[in-house]
Amino acid sequence: MAGGGALGGGKAPRRGKKGKRKSKKRLGFHLDMTPLVDITFLLLTFFMLTTSMITPQTMEMNVPPELDVPIEVKQSELLTIRVRDDGTIFYNMGMDAPEKIALKNLRKLVVDQNVQLKNRCIVVLKSSGDAPYGMVVSILDELNVAEPDILAGLKAAGINERKRKFTVAPMEGKDYEEIKGL
Amino acid sequence: MSKIKKKRLGFVLDMTPLVDITFLLLTFFMFTAKFKSESENQQKVEIKRPKTQADTAKLAEKDLVMVKVGVDSVLKDTAWYVSMINEQDVVSLRRAMLDAKFPGADDKTVSFKVVDTVWLGKIIQSCRIVNPKASFAVDADRRLRYEWIERAVNEMRKNRATTFSFVTEKKQGM
Repeated sequence: MAGGGALGGGKAPRRGKKGKRKSKKRLGFHLDMTPLVDITFLLLTFFMLTTSMITPQTMEMNVPPELDVPIEVKQSELLTIRVRDDGTIFYNMGMDAPEKIALKNLRKLVVDQNVQLKNRCIVVLKSSGDAPYGMVVSILDELNVAEPDILAGLKAAGINERKRKFTVAPMEGKDYEEIKGL
Repeated sequence: MSKIKKKRLGFVLDMTPLVDITFLLLTFFMFTAKFKSESENQQKVEIKRPKTQADTAKLAEKDLVMVKVGVDSVLKDTAWYVSMINEQDVVSLRRAMLDAKFPGADDKTVSFKVVDTVWLGKIIQSCRIVNPKASFAVDADRRLRYEWIERAVNEMRKNRATTFSFVTEKKQGM
């Protein structure tokens, strides 16, 4: 840009000494940028305030299709997690009596059971219809978060494949009875 | 030492870099801004999504059936709001629902408010027919009773939509 001979001689008139012509002192081209900048700032603030940066995330779920033939599983390999109306969580292995558990301890339990049973543990989540949905999602989230730990645990035990994950099942009358008085 | 005072020419500050950055930010926000769609505009429900920490996927932007569950801020009733994202699906679904005489549906409805399981089943079936490729997303308020979600999941399962997703919000600071 600065290489233009004839046009680029912007410096000469400014110094005003070498010029033979008595040209006017060039003041440069001035354009008032104030309104432009005003509008730009206005738009910028508008877009900044209206944009929400947090995009919704999704948690993928798989439910078994409706089958006529129930699949039989061993009771001893079944880890049932139940959520009571008030959001309290209970767990039991197979036929054991249900025990209360805090949400933050759930991950360790799931990892331990999965590693102990060497990939054959089935986690079933049963939730009461009156339990808050947020609680159910928190449990599902804990189960999802536990996956990498389970994989690591299984790998340490020499198993490189992960077969069974968790499933959601409806809560029945029997389930309600078992955790009612606890 | 008396100096002749120079005429003050005013304070000049080069605004060019500032304006450059401003324009840059402006273009960035303009391109990233996403405005509410028509279906979101129609409903008056506020949804507080459940928070999760696991690495989850982003919500699909097309081929999606959105099942929102929330409490109406005016009527204070809980309902399912079913809508489809693709534009031609919206039209097809609306036609299907008008043919089925969905209560309260007119030629502008985008999001269908359902309050009973029978209609929910019908509308989910229609969604499956309109776009078999569409995946389902359940967007529910975390304070709701789980029963509402369970019933929606059961209806989806009946229509063989066994893979779906729960819309969540990422827990901050994890």
